[in-house]
Amino acid sequence: MFYVALRILLYDKIRSFITLLGVVFAVGLIFAQLGIFLGLMETSSVIIDHTPGDIWVTSKNSKNFDFSQPFPEYLYHHVRSEDGVQWAEKLIVTWALIKQKEGGTEQIEIVGYNPDSGVGGPWEMKAGDIRNVKNGNFAIVDESAMRRLGNIRVGEYRDILFRRLQIVGISRGAKSFTTAPLVFTSYKLAQGLVGWIGPDNTVFVVAKAAPGYSVATVVERLKKRLKGVDVYTKEAFSMKTRLYWAVETGVGFSFMLTILISFFVGMLIVGQTIYNSTVEHIKEFGTLKALGASNFEIYKIIFSQALINALAGYLLSLIITILSVKIYESTDMVMVVKGWVNLLVLGLTLLMCVSAAFVSIRKIKKIDPAILFRG
Amino acid sequence: MDKPIVTRNLCKIYQEGRVEVTAVSSADLTLGEGEVVGLFGPSGSGKTTLLSILGCILRPTSGSLMLYGKEVSDMSEADLPFIRKKYISFIFQGFNLFPALTVHENVMLVLKLKGVKGEVAERRATELLTEVGLEERIDFLPRDLSGGQKQRVAVARALAADAPVILADEPTGNLDFSNGRKVMELLKNLAAERKRCVVVATHDNRIEDIFDRILFMEDGKIVREKRRSP
Repeated sequence: MFYVALRILLYDKIRSFITLLGVVFAVGLIFAQLGIFLGLMETSSVIIDHTPGDIWVTSKNSKNFDFSQPFPEYLYHHVRSEDGVQWAEKLIVTWALIKQKEGGTEQIEIVGYNPDSGVGGPWEMKAGDIRNVKNGNFAIVDESAMRRLGNIRVGEYRDILFRRLQIVGISRGAKSFTTAPLVFTSYKLAQGLVGWIGPDNTVFVVAKAAPGYSVATVVERLKKRLKGVDVYTKEAFSMKTRLYWAVETGVGFSFMLTILISFFVGMLIVGQTIYNSTVEHIKEFGTLKALGASNFEIYKIIFSQALINALAGYLLSLIITILSVKIYESTDMVMVVKGWVNLLVLGLTLLMCVSAAFVSIRKIKKIDPAILFRG
Repeated sequence: MDKPIVTRNLCKIYQEGRVEVTAVSSADLTLGEGEVVGLFGPSGSGKTTLLSILGCILRPTSGSLMLYGKEVSDMSEADLPFIRKKYISFIFQGFNLFPALTVHENVMLVLKLKGVKGEVAERRATELLTEVGLEERIDFLPRDLSGGQKQRVAVARALAADAPVILADEPTGNLDFSNGRKVMELLKNLAAERKRCVVVATHDNRIEDIFDRILFMEDGKIVREKRRSP
């Protein structure tokens, strides 16, 4: 029956081509929207996800990674001394302004980390070393910032909040959701760079559970012990940050709405084509029924048409999506094309096309035998 | 031995709004193997309805329909495809061939529905098409055939169903006299050679001589029967 479905589709080439275009358009849009959305979600928690450690201590009611408030630094010692904590590190994340070479300023996000441990610092370097920010006014800029900050080279100087910093390294892959360039400095420098943080405050404490201790247990202990702050597992804080950007800003809703619209547009296109084809072949299907074919055998032809449309449309869309990843990257956007995303979109495509076929199934079920006897 | 078709007091009444329309009334028939029977009558006389009931496409309102001794009039909708698959084959005025499939594939499709697979199905389809004189046209699409050739494909497809009863509705309706006659002669020969029971609904008087028996219908009733003199 698959072969019959294929022959029916190939017979009417123009209609099949238009349907295929419709499916490619709908599925391509789903791929792009889902990929970009997931890319944005990944970038929103990129520092959390790449920082070693299992536990994050944040100021009370912090909504996400990017807008956390400072809290007293002494709490860091409480964390370190807690039973079940292997190590702890302080981390500063704050906003600042960088002066452009040609004048003007750009907003940046500063990440101050301990250069000796590297916790919270860049995880991949294009040039320089993460320890280079130690003992001085040094900074590492991510290569994704070049578009906004110009072609920065190692060794050159830039003014951040009226302090001249030397660029000692270029990192790779540290791109923020807010699109503000990420600039890494030593913890000490970051603490002093932004006046409102204060010399005795930190923004985060990142800790690692000792071997033999469950992360959840250590988190519970820290929650009981520490007042005025929140304690999360790494995964929970990452998810909280992602959900903030996805839900509270409405970004997720707008992406999902486009995905839903694409899904229904695709369903309408495929549904209409298969329905028209079914109506055109109603006498032939009726004849098969008259000759003893069960409804199920005819349904197989209808569903095969839907499956062929789905698979062909999906494959073309996947190829186009893979080819367009580089185009997205060149515009500083991240599009996630992963195995599970591809499977999810395949599932959506199949659902879209198979659901579309149900209208035709109703038609087959209710074939009026009288039509067979009309010349 | 049980006859292919036996009906007793077969009736079909349609409800059109508040009005009941009797399409077939008290039809008593006994049709044998190898017999070619013509159902004649004006439009609306009930011959197509009777054919639909005999083919288990329509269910009678009352009465009995037995195919090879098996009562089928009270069977459920779900069972009827199996009955049709086993006993009935159809030929329609409009041919109803899949335009996207070649002549060979159209016949193959029915063979596959019957469970005949692979090379056996291919060989059988070729044999059937050769039997109806279309061995040169097996790879043609229906659009490339004349009306007569299309109807011969429909005959081959009906034979592929390998059913003992062949029901044909106006099989010559879209054909000129010469092609119509060829198709009817083909059906008659097949009925004789393969012991098929062929019932043809038609109002084409020019092919009357083909039939072993002619049943004349008027207002849903079989009003007259004419047998061919031996």
